[in-house]
Amino acid sequence: MVRFKSRYLLCELCVSEPSSLHLFEDKVVYQALRGAVNRAHGDYGAAIFNITLGVLVKYLNAHTGVVLIRCRKAHYRLVWSSLPFITFLENRGQKVRCFFNCIHVGGTIRTSQKFLIKYNRQQLQRMLLDCKTDAEKQDVRKAILSCSLNLIKGEETDGSDDDGDEEDT
Amino acid sequence: MEDSSKFERYVYKNASVYHYMKISLVLEKENRNISDAQFKQLIISGVKDLYGEIGASFPFDLLKFDPKELTGILRVYNSGLVKLWSALTLLGSYQNEACAFRVTQVSPFLLALSGNSRELQFGDRAQVALRR
Repeated sequence: MVRFKSRYLLCELCVSEPSSLHLFEDKVVYQALRGAVNRAHGDYGAAIFNITLGVLVKYLNAHTGVVLIRCRKAHYRLVWSSLPFITFLENRGQKVRCFFNCIHVGGTIRTSQKFLIKYNRQQLQRMLLDCKTDAEKQDVRKAILSCSLNLIKGEETDGSDDDGDEEDT
Repeated sequence: MEDSSKFERYVYKNASVYHYMKISLVLEKENRNISDAQFKQLIISGVKDLYGEIGASFPFDLLKFDPKELTGILRVYNSGLVKLWSALTLLGSYQNEACAFRVTQVSPFLLALSGNSRELQFGDRAQVALRR
């Protein structure tokens, strides 16, 4: 079978205030991405953006600021290279300064999700070092324990482990 | 047999890192004064329109420019040749006036641009014909 091959860019939206993450929608990210690709790669980039199975924002988590962007495998570099040129997102007249941090480039959504779970687990350990109060430390420890326990138990409780991670980060 | 020994043939296995293009600009109104800087600026803007700021970031030089005929010789790295050529082809206007770039010759060797086989005149034969 012949099919279109894709690349999935897993990105982190970095903002100064976490509360402003709720303003973002996938349409907003898409528009910003289109503007950036248009500026960085001109008409050629715009054409690649609009072809069948071009660029699409597959997933956006407004709580954690995780964005999954799908693009053609042959042209993913075009989108990838214009990501750093996005400096703000605009929604309903409100400008929010932010930047994209591309943490993973994967071939399927599955591998991207796997990486995200692993990445969030690592982030928990980093958070433990930054904790100030004992209560915070206890919370983070509990979270780490819960996801490591699941790791030992096996794959059945993988879903619940994922949710637990994202609430903490 | 002696004549054939004089004939030398050069074969370049490793072609040059550059490509040279002989181009000419055709404008709607014939009488226009365009300086060399304006000419290069026109090409740069064309490349930037098509390939954007990142795509247009490859070097090329305008080696020679003839303001009367609006012809010039460009030197570009092999990696940028396709981009430059396609941008030249799709460039369609100069200061709200229709224009077109004609690519006359492209070669990896500058020497090849000195003579154009299409404009070759057989001088000797013409003289022989006159004598008869």
